[in-house]
Amino acid sequence: MPMEEKIGVYVCECGPNIADKVDIDKVVETISSLPSVNVVERHKLLCSEDGKKFLKESIQKNELTRIVVAACSPKQHEVTFMRVCESAGINPYFFQLTNIREQCAWIIDDKEEATERTIRYIRAAIRRVLYHKALEKKEIEANPDVLVIGGGIAGISASLLLASGDRKVYLIEKTKVVGGKVREFAKLFPRMEPCSDIISQKIKEVENNKNIEVHTDSEVSEVLGFLGNFVAKVNTSENKAIEQPSEQAIKEKGLENKELELKVGAVVVATGFSMLDLQQLPQYGYGKYDNVYTALEFEKMNAEGKILLKNGKPPKQIAIIHCVGREKVGYCSRVCCMYSLKFANYIKSKLPSVKVSHLYTDLTVPGKTYQKFYEQTKEKDVEFIRAQDIEITESNGQLTINHKGTPNLKPLNTDMVILSSAITPSSDAHKLAEMLNISQGDNGFFVEEHPKLAPVSTSMEGIFITGCAQGPKNISDSIVQAQAVAGKILSSIIPGKKLELEVKTSEISEALCIGCQTCLEVCSYGAIYFDEIKRVCIVNEVLCRGCGNCVGSCPSGAASSKHFTTTQLHQEVVEALR
Amino acid sequence: MQEEFTPKIVGFLCNWCSYAGADLAGTSKLKMPPSLAVIRVMCSSRVDPVLVLRAFLRGADGVLIAGCHPGDCHYEKGNYYARRRFALLKSVVETLELDSERLQLSWVSASEGPRFQQVVTEFTEKLKKLGPNPMQEKTSM
Repeated sequence: MPMEEKIGVYVCECGPNIADKVDIDKVVETISSLPSVNVVERHKLLCSEDGKKFLKESIQKNELTRIVVAACSPKQHEVTFMRVCESAGINPYFFQLTNIREQCAWIIDDKEEATERTIRYIRAAIRRVLYHKALEKKEIEANPDVLVIGGGIAGISASLLLASGDRKVYLIEKTKVVGGKVREFAKLFPRMEPCSDIISQKIKEVENNKNIEVHTDSEVSEVLGFLGNFVAKVNTSENKAIEQPSEQAIKEKGLENKELELKVGAVVVATGFSMLDLQQLPQYGYGKYDNVYTALEFEKMNAEGKILLKNGKPPKQIAIIHCVGREKVGYCSRVCCMYSLKFANYIKSKLPSVKVSHLYTDLTVPGKTYQKFYEQTKEKDVEFIRAQDIEITESNGQLTINHKGTPNLKPLNTDMVILSSAITPSSDAHKLAEMLNISQGDNGFFVEEHPKLAPVSTSMEGIFITGCAQGPKNISDSIVQAQAVAGKILSSIIPGKKLELEVKTSEISEALCIGCQTCLEVCSYGAIYFDEIKRVCIVNEVLCRGCGNCVGSCPSGAASSKHFTTTQLHQEVVEALR
Repeated sequence: MQEEFTPKIVGFLCNWCSYAGADLAGTSKLKMPPSLAVIRVMCSSRVDPVLVLRAFLRGADGVLIAGCHPGDCHYEKGNYYARRRFALLKSVVETLELDSERLQLSWVSASEGPRFQQVVTEFTEKLKKLGPNPMQEKTSM
């Protein structure tokens, strides 16, 4: 048993909520008779201002060292009462809240049984609190600067919002220019406005923003550290001619490779997407027949001017095939139907007499404006065929699409085919996942921490995902997500304010650790590392979220979770069973 | 007349899903037998086998581990680890000559108050049929 402590137990009536269902007089009487307890009090509503004052004064008057409150769920008022303890001058972790409202008063019909159970819960809490240890708040300095990987529309949008919040942003782009794939688009669906209006303006804003340092022709090679304190290495071969005034200097600088070291507090992964390699789907004849184009190739052809066949003649019929590779990748890429409709509009505005046919498996036109766009496109004499098992053949330059579909079961002859194929993760996603210690889903896209509660965070605190790197999405959704990321960063790292860390982390006893590294394997947060010299595992408390999985897996009992130690839980169990 | 046997169940509930589900059952005033002693843990993966075995040695008639549904873990994949450990633990429980049915793993989300009620009620019924933990007599000397 621990040293002698002065224990106070406070039973909350919660108005009539607990008082009506539990015999509080009997509870107080029984608990008072326990030899280890110094003070037992009841109160009408402990969470009220009056209740908190009463609690604080009672703790101080009786010079208590351990507090048990029997009231509602810790989800409701654990923090409230911990603050009272703190204000009364005792460590807030020398406190235990036992939930006699949700777990006794409200669910047990028989008052006598509810009373018996309440006493049991309070006894267990008393036993547990005796084994509590004082825990202290921990804070670290945080760097407010941000590293954005990927200069596409998502990366640009995040950078701009972060910069407007006065953050220094390092925007790292693999290619020679920022703007990403969107740069190649002529127009945007559903309003068919010129893409350049939007993207050129954004690029100009990025280039002129003094808070954003753009590095093109650059790649991140290493990221170490944790939320608030990352160090990234960037390999760059960019020609920063503009910044080098003398011609001599430009020559010397040339395309020489150099390494930058950047210190940042957060990392944004906005590395975009690739398209499914169509060699994997030979039935579409891509690469085999002239005039079978990928969507991006067609987009480029249209942007450059004329829509023409390889022989230089204008086509009479064009077929756009949706859902190419959907079955293979196992998900809908969300944007293909819409850009395919956009293509029909490109074609109809340049070559009004061309027959356009869409072959689709399922049509995805969700949201408040897309259905209308579909209907407007359909009115332009554009054909829609629901088709399956597509196979393309060619004879004498004439393409034939064989398919099972409705309403047209005949093979379709056409001059040109556009394949709207699946969006896939960017080709170097796995490299980045490994470098940053973030996860990829079955489909290869980066996985968010929680699909609903934390949709732009990752399992690594301080590393965020946005745009198509997280999953296929359109430009609007990419911007929404990029702004969400910026919001998360702006609100979690505030210049001049320290970061408060999780207190209830795990710890590993150096004396007991056998160095098996099982804990290292099961940790989702990369919060455990192996000390090669001491041959033991060590918890990085900055990264640890306190789930306790390492404790559950530790064969030698070296790992323990603060405030949820095996002893504390065991004592609670023992008393609850007595 | 013999008094009806009320099993003693130790329930390790994860903070994020199952404990919240139990709270919802409470706020919805869903009635349950007075059999369960809830022990809050941050994640179902925190429940190390030793805690479960000790609960049985101390006379628990049943042990319930409840966590988030697969895919919903607050800590990414803690519940998958809990499930694996549970599978192993079942055989350990059998070597103690306890019916492995006395150890149960259930997924209860924060929105599943009625499911929590059902899990507790059905587990209690099952344990009533199995009778008191036979270890209790062996160890209480």
